[in-house]
Order: sequence, then structure tokens, then C-alpha cells
Amino acid sequence: MTVIARRLAGHLARGLVMVLVVTSISFVIIRNIPGDPIAARYEKLIEQGMSPEQAERATAVLYGFMPKGNLWQQYLDYMSGLFRLDLGESLMTPGAQVTDVLFEATKWTVLPVLVGTLLSFLIGIMMGVYAAIKRSGRLGDILAVSGSLLHGIPQYVLALLLGALFTTLIPILPSGGTADIMFEPGFNLGYIGSLIEHAALPVLTYALASYGGWILAMKSSVVTVLGDDFILAAELRGMKRSIVFRYIARNAILPLFTILALSLGLLFGGAIFIERIFNYPGLGLMLIDSITNRDFALMGGAFLLITIAIIVANIVADMLYTVIDPRVRSGEEAGR
Amino acid sequence: MKRLAAVAALLGLAAVTACSAGNGNSSSSGGGLYTTIDALKPGLDVNAPINPYNPKGNAFRGYNSMWLGWTKNHMTDPNQFYPGIAESWEIAPDQSSITIKLQPNNKWSDGKPVTAEDVKVSIGLAYTQGGTAYALDPKAAGAASDIQVIDDKTIKITQAADNPSVTFVRGIMETIIVPEHIWGGLLPADFWDKVKTARTDGPAAEAARKAITDLAPKVLAFAPKEDVSAGPFKLERMNPGEALLVKNKNFYNAAKVAPDQVKILNYNGNEQIWSYLTAGKLDSAPFTAVPADVMKRIAATPGNGVVRGYSPVGNSLAFNQSKKPYDNVHVRRGLAHLINRDQVTKVASPEGGTASATTSGMHQRPAAEWLGAAALKSLEPYKGGVAKADEEFKKAGLKKVDGKWALADGKPWKLTINVPASFSDWLAGAKSVTSQLNDAGVSAEVVTTADYPLYLEELAAGKYDVGMWLVALGPAPYNIYQRLYGTSNGWQLLAGKLKHVPAGKEGNWMGGPETIEVDGEKVDPGELTHKLNSVTGDEQKKIIAKLAKAANQDLPVIQLWDYVNTQFINTNRFTGFPENDSDLLRLTSGVWIQLGLIKKK
Repeated sequence: MTVIARRLAGHLARGLVMVLVVTSISFVIIRNIPGDPIAARYEKLIEQGMSPEQAERATAVLYGFMPKGNLWQQYLDYMSGLFRLDLGESLMTPGAQVTDVLFEATKWTVLPVLVGTLLSFLIGIMMGVYAAIKRSGRLGDILAVSGSLLHGIPQYVLALLLGALFTTLIPILPSGGTADIMFEPGFNLGYIGSLIEHAALPVLTYALASYGGWILAMKSSVVTVLGDDFILAAELRGMKRSIVFRYIARNAILPLFTILALSLGLLFGGAIFIERIFNYPGLGLMLIDSITNRDFALMGGAFLLITIAIIVANIVADMLYTVIDPRVRSGEEAGR
Repeated sequence: MKRLAAVAALLGLAAVTACSAGNGNSSSSGGGLYTTIDALKPGLDVNAPINPYNPKGNAFRGYNSMWLGWTKNHMTDPNQFYPGIAESWEIAPDQSSITIKLQPNNKWSDGKPVTAEDVKVSIGLAYTQGGTAYALDPKAAGAASDIQVIDDKTIKITQAADNPSVTFVRGIMETIIVPEHIWGGLLPADFWDKVKTARTDGPAAEAARKAITDLAPKVLAFAPKEDVSAGPFKLERMNPGEALLVKNKNFYNAAKVAPDQVKILNYNGNEQIWSYLTAGKLDSAPFTAVPADVMKRIAATPGNGVVRGYSPVGNSLAFNQSKKPYDNVHVRRGLAHLINRDQVTKVASPEGGTASATTSGMHQRPAAEWLGAAALKSLEPYKGGVAKADEEFKKAGLKKVDGKWALADGKPWKLTINVPASFSDWLAGAKSVTSQLNDAGVSAEVVTTADYPLYLEELAAGKYDVGMWLVALGPAPYNIYQRLYGTSNGWQLLAGKLKHVPAGKEGNWMGGPETIEVDGEKVDPGELTHKLNSVTGDEQKKIIAKLAKAANQDLPVIQLWDYVNTQFINTNRFTGFPENDSDLLRLTSGVWIQLGLIKKK
């Protein structure tokens, strides 16, 4: 067994234990959240104009979908379901499997957040290198200030600003949804264009919100690497500037890869404020709805997904480091 | 080369986006596309089945989900309807039965005719879900006892004679109708025998009732492969943000249905509706609470308009009478005199509410209809201000210490109003109330609860002294008064018998006494309310008058404002919307369309 394989096996075993522990803790927390979702639904329906009888009729059957038995019984039922990959049924959409609801919401979160994060990462590291090299110039200062500014603005403020700008003041982008329903879903220009159009604002917000962090981190990393002896040696040996630049970038980017892998894990948590503001139906919006409606099964499923994503991202980050940084690999081999 | 590829990809995306922006609505044809939201379905769910029984089901009332008739919500007569699946109906004078004639030319969207068998199966499915007209408990009031298919287009439903109720007709007419050829398989062959047995007494009846209600989850989760609708539209497709419905050419009134397509937009909060309205996207939107500044923006959008009508809902400040000093009627009266309801409404709901004239348990408009102007005027208006309040507080034994009212034993009194944090109008209203009370020497504060489910749970558990509570939920008089003298105040109906449970038990958080004195006469308001279910005419009026007086004198709540059904329309694409005060405003725009009111511009 290679070092990497052994390391991976250890990570997976620890990850599995972690998932079980976190799932158990979140199960207890979720089941102890106070609030009567069915009474709330009843009152809402009445407020919307339903007669008390209709509202009663519409809500009474939901009691059949509430978890039954004491907490231990519920826990055992939940865990045995979990081992069969059965996360139960949603309370607010009786009959809908939690796994299906999660899958549907996940795809609308992962794509925009992934695109936004990667976009900001690419632009951020390029600008970061430039800002570090030109750190005594005006452009370097401008880039660093732009990074600090964007890093300091909370995501939801940025989302509100962009929303107001592009949906109200200059209304060129849609304010909600995933695609215009008038387009037949499929691989056609209209539908794909509509998808992009609807995802534009969330993606732009994710990208701008995280761009600041990348540029600042990359700048700081590059500045550190610039002072290293091997850069001086390379310059003294008269190496081409482009090769020296590659040396700098490859070494400076290492710590950022770890942060990237971890932030990709966090993306499963959805960006609650962004999805809420843009009415974008991803995991964040689903999570808010499930908490508001005390949809215990859905909440449990969402937390489980987020837990797994973060643990997997941690493992990936660690393994990636082993692969891309020879010092870690050789250190481990030396320690055997 | 790589750089070139990246630039080309970006240009491609830009072109695609531009292309989509230009073609958004290109597929709608002659009759046009009608865009709206469905207030009953916040948060569209693509995983939900096309099932009208499912709370999130993708069946939109008035569009692809039909009732026998559409309730007019008349202020004093709950038995007035617009035609739906039923073309006409004949109600026996004593309301013991209703004979329904179906629309003669109505067909399901798959071409099969809508028949009385469809109605019978739908009634069977309604039995699995419970409800007044389809209660399996033999002692339940207003339940159907016999369903008889007379012919292909006629069905007669008879009310159980032992416990009749005026709610029976409405219960029947509000039956959701689904196709027998799709849904029929959910009912076992011996279903109707089981219903018959269930409506008797004994262990066999108990088993039959269980067998029927056990079907409920199956019905709720049933997912037809495609939409088969008897309404003006059928669901074509949906995504998490929008649903597209297309015209059902087999609908009986299809010739008068103007739009070819309907797009229903998703919403999760009022802000999204405001955003759609400001952008002029919606042809109509049902009642939405709107702050004044947003209202201005919405009104400034070309084509946008507002239609207002009666909304049988009011908001009130409700007391937990098991807590001191709210057990004392003089304290409640004193507070009522202190609160300037006009001021509260101006702050809390300037666009969607009118200040309550007084507390009668009813919305001002039906109150005028039921009681008459003279009787309404004879009610205490509670506008006495500080002088009257001082008088009442003194009667209650309260003392003024250093300019602040204290309890009879000299201990400080702090009035705490609980409201759910997410209800901005309630919060603003409560803050206005506490500000007025503090000015008048009553220490008062507002405490918010994280969300509505928690608020209702804690309210029911008797944790709050004072909270906000919806009242006057008409138009049926029983529905109106059961908010004051129902479960939340201790009266429970079990197996047809009314009982009163002590304060703090079984959801009795209002904790009022079982009997109260009204004009020197002892009355049981819960019993009177219960009677509203079974009496009509003058007797009904007498009881309502008594209950209005009881509510006015005893003040289990202080009514603050009556909601106004404020709806939005846009006349750029369609016309013919209901006018101010139309009874159609309480129905979905799908009903307006199917009745042929909406016209293409």
C-alpha cells in the first residue's frame, strides 16, 4: 500500500466516524427545535383566505408525517434509514423523498457557487501576483485596495447592491428563478442562455465577494516567496523572467489550494443570503424553508450533505497537498 | 491559443445571454401569456406531485385544480358560489341535501368527459383527508351521509339528519374534483361500505374509520404522471422558479378563456413579489403586505393598478386571562381606551388595513350587515383615552406609583406584547401600542419570537401575557367567533359534544371564564358560538348580536385593524379585472379567467 493510499484510508475512516458523530448531534438539535409547524401552516392558510375547515383539512393529514415515538426510537429509525440511504420524506411536501429534494436544490447551488468561486480564484490569484510584483506602483495599490474593499463588504450587502443595480436601476437581468419556463429545457441555445442569464447575478456576487480574499492572500503569499533564496538564486543565474514568474506563482499558490478545496466544501452549505435575495432555489433557500417549516427530515438531510461535503473537502485538501507539495510527501516517507 | 479559446467562450456566453434576453416570452401566441403568483403556493417545488391534496402539490386553484363551485365569500350568506365543475345546484330548504348538475360540456384535458363518477371518487378521496362535510365521526356536525349518482351529470349529497349544520353546503361545494380514471385506483373496492360502517358506532366502525384515514398519506403522496385537468389550464412544465400552464381546450368555457398560457412565478417572501410588481412583470398579484415607499414604486410602474376589497380577517391584541392583571376585565377595558387604533394602523398597515371601529369579534363591514347600524353604534367604541382608562384601572384596583401604573399589591406592572419577528406589520403595530401605553403611564415592551411556528407553540402553551392574534375570520359566523370562543379559549368539540377545558390545558391559552355576564345576563359564549353552526335566519342574527356584545364588553381581545384585500393588477396586457369591492377578489385570478372576465388587450 502506498503512503498516499494509506493516508487516504485513514482519512476516510476518520471522516466516516465524524459524519456519524455530527449526524447524531445535529439529529438531537434538530428534534429539539421548538415550534409547531402544522399550527403555523394552519394560521398561514387562514390568513390567505382559507376557511378554518379547509385549513384544518389541509393540515390535519400532515400530522401523519411528523416523526413518531420517543427520541431514541426516532434516532434509531433515522440511523437505520441512513444506512439504507433513505433520508425519509419531506414534511411540507408529503411523498417527496428528501434525497430527491436535496438533489434538486444542490444542482442549483453547486453550479453557480462553483463557477463564482473558480472565477474569483483565477482572477484573484492573477491579480494577487501582479499586485505583489507591482506593490510599490499605483496599479498594485489599486488592486490591493479593491481587494480589501470587496473583502470587507458582507456578501448580502453586495447582493443587494448588485440586485438593485441590475434588476431595478438598469433592469437587464432577472430578479429570480433559474431559467425562463418558456424555453424547453434541454441543450438548446435559448434555454442555456436563460440559465446563464438567471445565474449571472448570484455568480457575480459569489465572484466579487470572494475575489478580495484571494487577491489579498495571493499577494501576501507572493511577497513572502519573493524574499526566498531560490528566487534570488534564479535571478542571479539570469533565468528568463517568465520562468522566475512561474517559480514564484507555483510556490505562492500552494497554501491557496488548501483554502480553495475547503471553500469548495463550504459551497454545499449554499449561500443563504445570496439565494434568498436573488430568489435562487438552491440549498441555502431550501435550508431556510426547511427551518421555517420545521421540516425535520429535510433539515437533517441538508446538514448531513453539508457535513459530508466539508469532510470530503478537508480530505481532498490534505491529499492535494500531498500530491502538489513534494516536501510533504518526502517528509512522510522519511518519517517511516 | 488558450487565451483565444477563453475569449471565444466568453463571447459565446455573451451571445447566448443576449439571445435569451430577447426571446424570453417568444413562445406565447395569440391569447397571450398571463403572469401571476399563487399566494397559496409560496416556494414552488418541482419534486411535489401534481396533486391538489398535497400542501405543496403543483395543482393551482382555479387554473388546473377545480372545485365544484367557487365560494363568493358573501358577508352574511356563506352559501353563495360561482360555477366551477358544477353548472348549477339545488339546496333543499332545510339544507338537508344538495343536488348538483355538472357543466354539460366539460371534459378533462385528456378528452374524457367530466362525470358524476368523478365527483363521487373525489368525495371518497376527501373522506380520507377529513373535513366538515366528509367527517367520519357519526356525531360530527354537517357531515354527508349519502352520496347518490343520479345520472352522468347529476349527483345528490344528503346531510346526516342527526347533527345538521349550515356549513354542510359550503363543505360540499368546496370539494376538489379529480378524474376517476386517474385517481379511482386509490380507493379500495369496498370503500363505500367502509364509509357506511365508519359512520356508525362500535369496534367495526372504529376499524373502518382507521382503514379510511390510513389512506390519507397514500392520497397525499400520489403523483399522476401528467396533469389531467378539468380547469381552464393544464400544467405543461415547471422549474424551481416558474410553472407554465397551457390552455385546456376541453374546458367548458374555453372560448372565453383569454390567455393561452399562464406563468406562475415562485416567491418565498413579500420582497420578491414587490420586485416582480416594480418590474411590471405580474398581470395580477393577490394580497401582499406592502410598505408605503414600495407602494409608491409599484404604482409608478406603467400599467400597474390597485384593487381593494373586503378581507374577512382582522388583527387583534389577545390576552392570556389566566395571568394577572389581564384576568380583570377593567384592565383590558382600560388598555382598550388607551390604544389609538387609527395611529396603530397608520404605522402597521397603512395600505392593507383600516382601523377597527371597536371590538365586536367581527370585521367592521359584516358587523354592520349582521348587527345593523343602530346595534353597532350601541357598542362601546373604546375611545375614552386616558381619563376613561384611569377610571377603569382604578376599578381594577391598580395604583399609580410615580406616574406609572402598578399592580394592586404595589408591585410594578409591565405589559409585554409578544410578536413573531418576521411579521413586520405586527411588530410595527405592537411597537406603536407600547409607545402609546408608555406615554400613558403603563410600562410596556415588545418581545419578538424567532419565527411563527415557535410563536404559535409558545402562545398555545400559555407562555405569553399578550400577543397578536388573527380574528374575524369570516364570512361564516361560526368561523368568526370560534377564534374568540373556540379551542384557544377552552371550548372543544368532541364527538359532537362541547366541553370547556381549564385555562392552560389542551391549547386553552386565552384562559377566559366559561360564562360571562352580558347586560346582566350570564352567557356561555362557546356554546353560543357552537350554535352558530346549526341555526339560520333570525336566530343566527340574535346569537351574533349577543356574541358581539359579549366580545365588546368582555374584551378577550382588543381589535386593532381590519385587513383590506389589496391586490395588484397590470392592464398593459389584459383587462377586465374585478373592480373594487368585488367578491371575486377573494378568489384566485384563475377563477376570474375561467369565468371569462379577463380579456386580452
